Amino acid sequence: MASASTFSLSSLRAALPSPPCICFPNGFSPSKLKIARPKSGPRPLNSFVGLAPLLPIFSSSDSFSFEHCFPTIDNGSRFFAMRHGRKVPKLNRPPDQRKALLRGLTTQLLKYGRIKTTRARASAMRKYVDKMVTLAKDGTLHKRRQALGFVYEKQIVHALFAEVGERYGDREGGYTRIIRTLPRRGDNAPMAYIELV
Amino acid sequence: MRRASLDPLVVGRVVGDVLDIFVPTAELAVRYAAQKISINGGKVKPSSAEERPKVRITGSPNNYYTLVMVDPDAPSPSEPTFREWLHWLVIDIPEGSDASEGKELMAYMGPQPPIGIHRHIFAAFRQAGLMETVKGKPAERVLFSTRQFASENQPGLPVAALYFNSQKQPAGIKRR
Repeated sequence: MASASTFSLSSLRAALPSPPCICFPNGFSPSKLKIARPKSGPRPLNSFVGLAPLLPIFSSSDSFSFEHCFPTIDNGSRFFAMRHGRKVPKLNRPPDQRKALLRGLTTQLLKYGRIKTTRARASAMRKYVDKMVTLAKDGTLHKRRQALGFVYEKQIVHALFAEVGERYGDREGGYTRIIRTLPRRGDNAPMAYIELV
Repeated sequence: MRRASLDPLVVGRVVGDVLDIFVPTAELAVRYAAQKISINGGKVKPSSAEERPKVRITGSPNNYYTLVMVDPDAPSPSEPTFREWLHWLVIDIPEGSDASEGKELMAYMGPQPPIGIHRHIFAAFRQAGLMETVKGKPAERVLFSTRQFASENQPGLPVAALYFNSQKQPAGIKRR
């Protein structure tokens, strides 16, 4: 998973057990296992350890590209393990469309209680849903008008302001929950349900 | 052993909202005509779930089981005022056989979520024997409480649980 470009790969591979099997698919793997199916315990990959001396061919090239990435990373998993400098999820859209998308998604979530969308969008929208609930908890006219400026449907804002006290009165933050699910059939996009707690 | 079979139920809040935390000691296999429920939280279309599924409970032999199917998100997940909506209640299911062999206390009703995405939960309870008298027999489907029914009629904790999600299909059914 980590592209260890500055380390000598041969020493790493000698230390690690069997490289191709460490990567987990970035899905919710426990839920895919049926109750009765035994876990594939000791990996039957002793043969790969024997192949290790062949692989240092790649370690001699000093490229920083994906050659060092193990070949079993499948679609949807991040290639790198770090998030340095990434402050805002861009969602592949220019800023105006991004804002409109997030407004629409939070409106729908507040209306229906649970929606199914892609994982990136679900984790991007958490901040805005929590913001709306926080505005509702405050309850003043100014906050209500701010909420009306964000959410697309005004009945939803009024309903939210009315019921948030009894629903989230005791809860401090974290008003949503994300449950990962199977990828979408058309483009294999990783999907998730996001719901109000 | 990791309790992998329990984690999806906890994550989907099935264990919090409807059931209490339990150790699964039996297996529940649910198969609708068109599709089998193989993972928790999978999607089932209401049109494929109109008829009774074949449900098989396998665990320790010579036991009878109770099967409950509820929807805790009725009428809408953001306002579950009818929690829980009872879809199906069958008692005295012999072990290893289909649910049709038991006694059906509440007829099967397929999922018909009006708003939003609803969870539909199957829970199996082990009975001490054949149930002669049923306490707290539900007269109607709304505001059913699985916990209360289970504690009144002895079993207490479930032995297996499974859930799927379902959503109202739009009028012009899109191929998905």
